[in-house]
Amino acid sequence: MNETAAPPEVLRVAIVGAGPAGCYTAGFLRKRWPQAAITVFDRHDAPYGLIRYGVAPDHLGTKAIAKQFDRLFARDGVTFAGNTDIGTDVSLDQLRADNDVVVLATGLWADRVIETFHTAPGTGAAAPLAGVYGSGRLTRLINGHPSESVEGLTIGRRTVIVGNGNVAADLVRLMLTPADVLASHGVAADVIHALTAGPLEHIDVVGRSPVGAAKFDVAMIRELGRLADVRFTSDAAPDAGAPDAGAPDAGAPDAAAPDAADADGKAAAIRELVAGSPEAAGRTVAFHFGWTPDRVTGDGRVSAVTFTATGAAGGAGTAGTAAGSASLELPADSVCTAVGFTETDGAHISRASVASPRADPDRGRLDDGLYAVGWFRRGPVGTIPANRADARSVADAIIADLEASFIPTPTSLT
Amino acid sequence: MKFVILYGTESGNAETVADDLVDELGTDNEVESVDMTDASAETLSPDALLLVVCSTHGDGGLPASAVPFAELLDTERPDLTGIRYAMFGLGDSSYETYSRGSERIDERLSALGATRVGEYGRHDASDGSLPNDAALEWARNLVGSLDEAQAVAR
Repeated sequence: MNETAAPPEVLRVAIVGAGPAGCYTAGFLRKRWPQAAITVFDRHDAPYGLIRYGVAPDHLGTKAIAKQFDRLFARDGVTFAGNTDIGTDVSLDQLRADNDVVVLATGLWADRVIETFHTAPGTGAAAPLAGVYGSGRLTRLINGHPSESVEGLTIGRRTVIVGNGNVAADLVRLMLTPADVLASHGVAADVIHALTAGPLEHIDVVGRSPVGAAKFDVAMIRELGRLADVRFTSDAAPDAGAPDAGAPDAGAPDAAAPDAADADGKAAAIRELVAGSPEAAGRTVAFHFGWTPDRVTGDGRVSAVTFTATGAAGGAGTAGTAAGSASLELPADSVCTAVGFTETDGAHISRASVASPRADPDRGRLDDGLYAVGWFRRGPVGTIPANRADARSVADAIIADLEASFIPTPTSLT
Repeated sequence: MKFVILYGTESGNAETVADDLVDELGTDNEVESVDMTDASAETLSPDALLLVVCSTHGDGGLPASAVPFAELLDTERPDLTGIRYAMFGLGDSSYETYSRGSERIDERLSALGATRVGEYGRHDASDGSLPNDAALEWARNLVGSLDEAQAVAR
C-alpha cells in the first residue's frame, strides 16, 4: 500500500450493530487503520446478532464464524459496547458528533408479514388465529434470545411451513431433530418441549416459486436427507428444473454457477431427497412448489391453510409446479411463516429517515461520515458471506472517502 | 525463506488463518499474504513457496474470493512450471464434499505445472473449532520437513 497521507491516529469510528455485517466492517477498517478507535455498539448485551440468534444451533461451522470476531475484540483493539440502543440510549446525532465515521449495520430482523396470516384483514392489527408464528420468533427462541418467550407456542402434529428458503429448511430440520440432540446444542428445555411435544407427524413446506427458483441452498436440502424416519415427497413435476427455465447465457466456467445449472441443481436435490427417503416412515415432509399463501382458517386456533397456484390468474409461468389445480388446502394445527425479513415497525433508525441528498446507497454512503452496510443497506437478501463481501466494498468506500479528504491536492479528491 | 500465502475465503475464516500464518512465519522469513481475488499470475513466483489456504462453499464449491483466481487460471492458463506450493483446505466433514473447494484450486495449479510439496493439510469445522491452530501446526511441520529436505540435499 502506497498512501500519500494517513488519517490522524485519533480517527474515531462507531459501528451500530454487532452482527456479521458490522463485525466484518470493523475488521476491514481495522486492517487499514490499525490506530483508529473503533467501537461496535449493539442493543443486546452480547455481540454477533444473526450468528448468535439466527443461525441454527446445529450449524456449528457457521456459528464458529463468531470466533473470528472474538479476535477483533480480544486482540485487535476493537471495543464492544453492548446493551446500548442507538436512538434511545444515545441519539444518532450525538454518535455522529462524537465520531468521524458512523456505520449503520442494524440489519432487518422483523418477520415479513403475510397480511391474511398474521393480521386481521384490513385492520393490520392483531393475529386473527392462534397457532401462527413467524420464523424470526422461532429461530430466536431456539437460540435463547433474551426477549423471546415460549409462552403460547405449540407445534402440534401437523404444521405448515410457508416459504422455501434456508430458514424454512432450518425449521424442518430442527423440528424433526430428536430432543436429546437439540439439548446437546444448548436449546432450552421449554423450547424443546414446545417443538417436540406434538410429536410432529407431518410437515408441509409450501413455496411460491417453482422448484428451480426456490430460495434454499442445495446443501441445506442434502442435509435434510440425514434425518431419520422421514418420508419426503414433492409435488414438483419429475422434469422440473433446468431445461426451459428461461436460462440466460450458458457456458460459464465451472467456477461460477450459471442460473440454469443452479435451477437444475435445486430440482435434482429435491428429487434425490425424495428418492433417497424410505417409502414408509413415522413422519412425512411434503414439499409444495408454486403456491401463493391465501388465508388461514379455524375457530380461534388455526386448523387449515389455503394456497392458490402462483400465477394462476395471470396464466403461465409456473411450469413444473402446481399444475392443474388452482388451490391447495392443508390441515394444520400450527403454521410457521419463513418468508423473509423486514424493517421493524417503529425502529429508531430507518434508512429513509437518515439518508441525505448526498447519499450514494450503492457505495453505502448515507450522508457525510454516515454509512450503511449489510441488510440495512441492501435489504434482506444474501447470506453471511454476502454480507462479508458487502462489508468489504463499503469499508473500501469509507476508506476512499476519508483518505480523499485527508489528501490536500485537489486532483486526489475525485 | 520467502512465502506467499494465497487465501480463498467465503466467510473470512481462511483470511484469519492467513493472518496467523503471517505472524508465525514472518519473524524469520519474508511473508506476503494475498486474497485470491487480488492475485494475478505474477503473484506466483518460483522464488517463493506458495501456501494456499482455501475454504469450501456450499455444496463443494469454491469460496467467493477464490472464484476470480480460478477463472484467471482457466482463461490465462499460465505456465506454472517451477512453482512450488503447499495446500491447506478448510471444510466441514458433515458434507460429502468436504474440503472440495481447496481441491479445485489444487487441481488447477498442478494441471498448469506447479508442484505440490508437503502434507495436504485439512481442517474440519464440523465440531465448531477454528482452523487456525491446525493450520499453524501444519505450517510448522511443513517448514520442518522442507528444512530437513534441504539438509539432506546439501
